[in-house]
Parts: sequence; structure tokens; C-alpha cells
Amino acid sequence: MELIINSIPLLFKGLQNTLIMSFVATLLATVLGILFAFIQIFSHVFIKAVVEVFLYLVRGVPLLVLLFMMYYSLLYSGLQVNPLIGGSVVIGIYFAAFMSEVFRGGILSIAKGQWEAGYALGLRTHQVVGSILIYQALRIIGAPFINTVIMIIKGTSLVAIIGVTELTFVGRQIVERTLEPFLIFSVVALIYVVICYSLSLLAQHLERKIGYVN
Amino acid sequence: MSIKSDLVPEIEINNVSKWFGDTQVLDNVSLTVTKGEALAVIGPSGSGKTTLLRCINFLEDFQEGTIKINGEYIGYQNTATEKDSRKRQHEREIALMRTKVGMVFQSFNLFPHMTVLKNITLGLTKILKQSVDEANETAHQLLNRVGLADKANVLPASLSGGQQQRVAVARALAMKPKAMLFDEVTSALDPELVAEVLDVVRELIAEGMTMIIVTHEMSFARAFSHRIAFMAEGKILELDVPEKFFETPQNPRLISFLERFRKGYQI
Amino acid sequence: MPFEFPLMLRSVPILLEGLTITLTLSFLAILLSSFWGVLILLSLRTGKLFNAFARTYIEIMRNTPIIVIMFFIFFGSGVIGMPLSGFIAGLLSLVLQNGAYIAEIYRAGIQGVSNRQTEAGLALGFMPKRTFLLIILPQAIRKVIAPLGTQGVMIIKDTAVVATISVAEMTFQARLLADRTAAVFEIFTALAIIYIVLTTIFNLGIRFVEKKYGYKN
Repeated sequence: MELIINSIPLLFKGLQNTLIMSFVATLLATVLGILFAFIQIFSHVFIKAVVEVFLYLVRGVPLLVLLFMMYYSLLYSGLQVNPLIGGSVVIGIYFAAFMSEVFRGGILSIAKGQWEAGYALGLRTHQVVGSILIYQALRIIGAPFINTVIMIIKGTSLVAIIGVTELTFVGRQIVERTLEPFLIFSVVALIYVVICYSLSLLAQHLERKIGYVN
Repeated sequence: MSIKSDLVPEIEINNVSKWFGDTQVLDNVSLTVTKGEALAVIGPSGSGKTTLLRCINFLEDFQEGTIKINGEYIGYQNTATEKDSRKRQHEREIALMRTKVGMVFQSFNLFPHMTVLKNITLGLTKILKQSVDEANETAHQLLNRVGLADKANVLPASLSGGQQQRVAVARALAMKPKAMLFDEVTSALDPELVAEVLDVVRELIAEGMTMIIVTHEMSFARAFSHRIAFMAEGKILELDVPEKFFETPQNPRLISFLERFRKGYQI
Repeated sequence: MPFEFPLMLRSVPILLEGLTITLTLSFLAILLSSFWGVLILLSLRTGKLFNAFARTYIEIMRNTPIIVIMFFIFFGSGVIGMPLSGFIAGLLSLVLQNGAYIAEIYRAGIQGVSNRQTEAGLALGFMPKRTFLLIILPQAIRKVIAPLGTQGVMIIKDTAVVATISVAEMTFQARLLADRTAAVFEIFTALAIIYIVLTTIFNLGIRFVEKKYGYKN
């Protein structure tokens, strides 16, 4: 229908923002995730406990609540922060909790023997990690990493509520104008499904590859 | 060892061939195991010996040939022997035939969520429709027989490999099968646990149980089986009594197999 | 601006006004999606056509954000003249999506029980269906307790999204409050704490069930 065709430019703009937010959030989540994973594996008990408690708390709260917390706090504090950036940061921190599990699991699942072989040769921790483990870990974390990215992309839809013009927000705008919710939201859903499903196929492919290695 | 004079066929395998896709794994295999006979099957990996065993209780199908247990066909309706006119038996018939042969697996395959007792009585109560008391009685007797009387109410996970395998034997025996199929039952066990399982098998042989034992335990096969078959590449290349089999092997493949075996580190 | 603890405490009762709906919605969503998941699983296992439908359904539901599903149902129902309340629309969305996730959890649990268990059952003389019911299923159930627990936590958290379609659960209450006062950080902190308490209680419950029925591999 022409309605769909007319809406495409707007939806595309929305999609752009969705992708930008997803990218920024993924970057942040990955960096923090690796950091938290390393702290959880290597650190002194006290820091480890702090991080673990923090991650547990973050995982126990809905993302929407954290987004509201950020949005309203910034509103009232008078700081001018673009909700798109603010949203990306919140989503990034939220999913860092999930990413840390991905990395932690990946690092830990490499057989202890690999560590020991590395140390036995005389390598130091950072060398063992850099030269031996990293390649094995990457193979293992590929799939769960992508699955978390899919969650991030879906998570960006919530910022529609705080006024960021990403895909879902744009969809709602169009619906309010045209009163065709089934049509427009189907298209919106379709776009998400195409993006996320493609990623999940990639993840499945990666999962099969490590199965082969094992 | 003398063969029981009662030459009634218990397991009859006739011209069985099987393909996995394009690869042939069984090549026109024929074999008859008579009542009371213990037949060992040895051979290199990939020779088809495990596949043959699994065809007998139809865990694997086969494209050509027939298999009979205690005079009745398993797997396919009786008359059809050509590849295309085979008619598969109904699930119910196949299940019934499976109760007539007991199988013991290399990896024991006990049901982890049930106690040892329940593992043994499950088939009795659910298939043979016995009462719980009857089934428990049978199970306790069998546990006694395999030397695990005090383990009735534990979960399999707390038993050693040898103990688990003995429970597996008891579980199969509970169904009062006409014949037993042992699929490399000691291959997954630590060496010191092998003996306790082989002891059970040896007692069964002495009691006259018909059986096919696929095994790597040469000395056991030599000492206790009535006949031994050598399989390679899906065919039975030699079939004879143990003395002749090991002293005067005929088939060249068997000769080199035994050579390589003797060269290995055997105590 | 310093954190005003008393303000946080004062917001709690107002937030808790939404607790009943949060709990009811969570409970119903978990219950119904568990059953819906069974139906989807059955569809997966009944032949090529049903399997294809089920797979398509699962992939659509798994890859669409919950808020889009809720908007679809909520606004869509209004336009066709059968307006569903936010609660029903939200519940329906949660069940439709999580049924798909849960069906996958069931499927993975069943697949995770070794083929050898099936063989052992068949070798005794059990028919395939009975082997499944007596031997595979009990083991699969024990395997899925943990993943189902995680999914339950996600459902509880997703109930917050219905605030966007005007359902008066806790997050909605928080927003109302935030529009009226300036102590927004305190309000949402209180809200976050309540959610953490809820999910913690749920997690403890799951762990209890796991101890009782789960088994160590």
C-alpha cells in the first residue's frame, strides 16, 4: 500500500537512530563487560564482591525503570543531555551486566589445561591471555555476544517513551496520524525481525562452528 | 567348553545388509546363535559389530535380510526379503520383540532420575504389568545376584562404573529375555572394575543364557565363549570355536588383527 | 543535590499501589505463557507444516521488541472497535512473546536429554511415546527449571512496559509521582529497590524448587 511506501523515509530515519543507539550501547556494554568479567575472575575478593552485587542489582531492575531514572533526573537537574545519548549510555550500562556474563563464561570455559600449559612455558598472565586464550575465547563467545546485541537492539525500542525518534517512536507517530496500527506496527516489527533474525542466524552459525571444534 | 547339545536357534540373522546413506556397514551377514550359546564378536572399530547388535533389537534398521528371535521376525513383516517390498512392523510389535532380548550398553544408560530399584522394576511394572511387590521382589533377587543387594535405593550417580553396569545387566535380565546382547560393556570402565562385570557375564554363561558379546576382552572371549566371530568391514570373516580361532586362524585379516593385538601391551 | 532518604521512603506506599497489578500481571503472564509454550512445542513436534508455522511464530516473537507487540495489540484493538484494556493487551503481548521463548526452553531441555536414554528405554521394550513420557520428560523437566526461572524474572521486569499503555502498575505510579515532585531520583530508586526485592524473592523460590526437584548432572 502507498501508506507503507510513504512512511518508509520516516521509518528509515527512525531506524538510523535505532542503529546508532544500538552501536553506541553495544560498544559501551562490551568495554564494560570485559572490564567486569576480568574483575570477576582476577580481582581481590572485595572489589569482586562490589562488582558482583552491582551486576545483580542491575539485572534485577527493568530497563525501562533505569531509562526513566536517567530521563527524569536529567530533566530536573537541568543538565542538557540529548536523550538519545543518555538512553544509549543507560542501555550500554544495563547490558554490560549481561555482557560480563558472556565474557566471563567464555574465559572460564577454556580448559584449565590451557592456562597451565601457558604458565608452564613461563608466560605471564597477560601473555597467556593475549596469545593463547583470546582466540579460543572469541570462538566461544561469538554466539552469546550476538544474542546480547540482539537484546540491545530490542532494548532501544523503549526510548520511544522518552521521546527519542527511533524506529518505534516514529512508528507510533505515523500511527497517530494515520490510524493504521496493524499495518504500521507490522512493518516496524518486520524491520526489527529482519535485523535481529539475521543476527541470530549468524549466531547459530557460530555456535555450530564451536561445536565442531569441541 | 562344551556347547549345549540343544541346537535350537535362538537368534537367526539371515543375509542382513545395511547402508548408512551410501556407505555399506553390514554386508550380507548371516549368523545363527543357538539356545544356550555364548557367541563373542571381535573386530576392529567400524567393522559393523555394534551395528549388527543394534539391528538385532532393531535399534537400527537394515535394508536387506531378516532377523528372527526365538523363531519370530523382528523389524519387518516376515516374508519380504527384497529391498523394496519390506514392510516395517508396527511399533507395538517391535516393542514386544525387544522385550525378548536384553541389551547392555557400553555407556550403561541407567535412568539417572530413578533409584537403582526403580531402574530395574520400570519395565516390569509398565510393560509386563506386574504388581509393584512382585517387581520389587524380582529386582531384589537380581540385585543380589549381581552383588549389589544394598544399593537398591540409591541413585545411579553415586555408583561406580562397574556397579552401574551390573545394575544395567540386572535391569536387562529382569525382563526375562531369551537372549542377551552385550555391547562392549567393559570398554568404558576403569581396568580394575572390568572384572566384576565380566564375573556376572561368566555366571550367566554358566547358567545357559544365550548371548552375543561384542568385546575387546580377548582372554575372556577365549576362555568363556562357545564360538567367536571375527568381523571386519561389515562381514563375518571367521567363525569358530575359541581354540581353533586363536590357535589356527584362517582368514588373513584375522591373522594380522591378532598379530597387532599380541604386539600390544597385555598383562 | 543530596539524596533525600525520607522522600524515598515516602514514595514507597504510592508505588506499592501498583504492586497488585504488577504481581497479578506477572503471575498470569508466567502461568499462561508456560502453557502456551507447551502448545507451541507440540506444534513444533507435529510434522513439517506445524513445525514451519511454529518456527516462524517463534522467530517473529523472539525478534520483536515487547513494546512493539504491545502497541500493535493495544492500538490495533482500539482501531478495529474492540478496544482491549491496557492490562489485557499487555498480558496478551507478554504471553504471546514469552510462550515462544518458553517453547524454546522446553525444546532445548528435551534435546538435552541424551539419545542414549531413549535407546535404553526402547531396548527394554517401551514404545517411543512411553519412552518419552516415562524417561525423557522427567529428566527434561529437571533440566529446564533454571532457564524457566530466568525467563520468569524477565517476565516480571517486562511488566513495567505496560506503563506505556496506561496500566496502573508500579512503574506507572512512579511516573505519575515523578510528574508531580522533584525528588525523581529518590522515587525511581525506590521503584528499583522494589523490583529488586521482587526478583530476588522469585529467584529464591526458583532455587528452592531446583534443590527439591533438580538433580546434579
